[in-house]
Amino acid sequence: MSQSILGIGDYGAAKHPGGEVKTFALGSCVAAILLDPRTKAVGMVHVALPDSSINEAKARQRPGYFADLGLPLLIQEMARLGSPANGRGLVVKLVGGASIMDHNDTFNIGKRNVLALKKHLWAYGLGPLAEDVGGNHSRTVSVFVDTGKVIVNCPGRGQWEV
Amino acid sequence: MSKVVDREAVRQAIEKLPLFSSAALQLLQVISDPDHELEDVIKIVKFDSALTMRVLKAVNSPVYGLVKEVTSIDRALSYLGERMVVSIAVQENTGQLFSKPLEGYQSEPGGLWRHDLFTAIASREVARYANGNFDLDLAFTGGLLHDIGKSVFATFWKDASLEALGQIEQGIVSDYLMAEQDLAGLDHTEVGYEMARHWQLPESLQAVILHHHHPAEAIECMQPLVYAVHVGDIVSMMAGCDTGSDGLKYQLDPGYQEFFNLSPNVLAEIVLNSEEEFSKAEASLVS
Repeated sequence: MSQSILGIGDYGAAKHPGGEVKTFALGSCVAAILLDPRTKAVGMVHVALPDSSINEAKARQRPGYFADLGLPLLIQEMARLGSPANGRGLVVKLVGGASIMDHNDTFNIGKRNVLALKKHLWAYGLGPLAEDVGGNHSRTVSVFVDTGKVIVNCPGRGQWEV
Repeated sequence: MSKVVDREAVRQAIEKLPLFSSAALQLLQVISDPDHELEDVIKIVKFDSALTMRVLKAVNSPVYGLVKEVTSIDRALSYLGERMVVSIAVQENTGQLFSKPLEGYQSEPGGLWRHDLFTAIASREVARYANGNFDLDLAFTGGLLHDIGKSVFATFWKDASLEALGQIEQGIVSDYLMAEQDLAGLDHTEVGYEMARHWQLPESLQAVILHHHHPAEAIECMQPLVYAVHVGDIVSMMAGCDTGSDGLKYQLDPGYQEFFNLSPNVLAEIVLNSEEEFSKAEASLVS
């Protein structure tokens, strides 16, 4: 079994038996998770912000940080493992995008991240099959190659499958 | 209903905490004075050999990528800035308080240090968008110490965290701080305030520690500083750098708008810059 840990702005995919792709403490960040039922490949990108236009230098250094750049890169990564380059047939799940308890639009980066990812998924003709987004709790999420299961962990709330 | 935390036992635990070294205390006092000069900080560090050693180790850490080894405090400070020296001094003087797991919050070892360091950096970033003049490094120091009360409170809080989460879900209380008050009869900000008084920290830092969840309750002259840390704390939690089960379960006081110009894009920049500086700072402060 091998575990690939993604930090903020990282993306990665795996399809070897026993493989796991994991990211910690999503907060307002969102993990976009892709699963290919045909190749059994799984992939994830840990997106922190919706739009790369706010900082071009950072967009070049760490494109996975932004929804508009991270999602196409993850689809490319999946294509490297045999999935269609246009993303067709991929199963999508979204996890994260939490917010603080107050409904303050300025601070609702989580919601903006989720909306941005959905918008860019639509461009590929994709949409999430399942999502565990919003709320006021930080999530750690793993996706397993062998089962395709997406498991979420949260301090004080236990773990569940998405 | 009897409270889950014995207030007297908390008081005794605080009494037993070791005091800050005179160098660290002097450093925090100097930093709290808006008219201080870099030379004042250099003098303090030079007279503390352990602090000097840690500062030099940090500046020569691979994350800064300096070609030539830095051997003088003057040069180290110009590279690192006062805030990193404060981080080192606080880390030295609080020992296990920051690094032990926060049982009651289900936080991993080091979780409190990571949260407070991120909050320190984010508070300083927020302060850059202040309407008026602002002592950026004081915002950093306030952020670094704001949640120190959890280090003592967590031991007594223990299993009550689950009940607190239940109270929030059922709408019995409005946030985690209120749950602490309801179940324990006191909260981590009060415990932190008593610790700050025990350590004789400057009044501005005491105010940050006590009021960071309700900044409007701070005296007027302290409010800009306390609001900076209030927002920095929220940014830290949004970035996933929280202290466990209480993460994101606090209210944002919109009064910050009186002191800071924060649009969605500015907030995104704050998240971006904080995360970048945090990665560097965390790596260079590994003891």
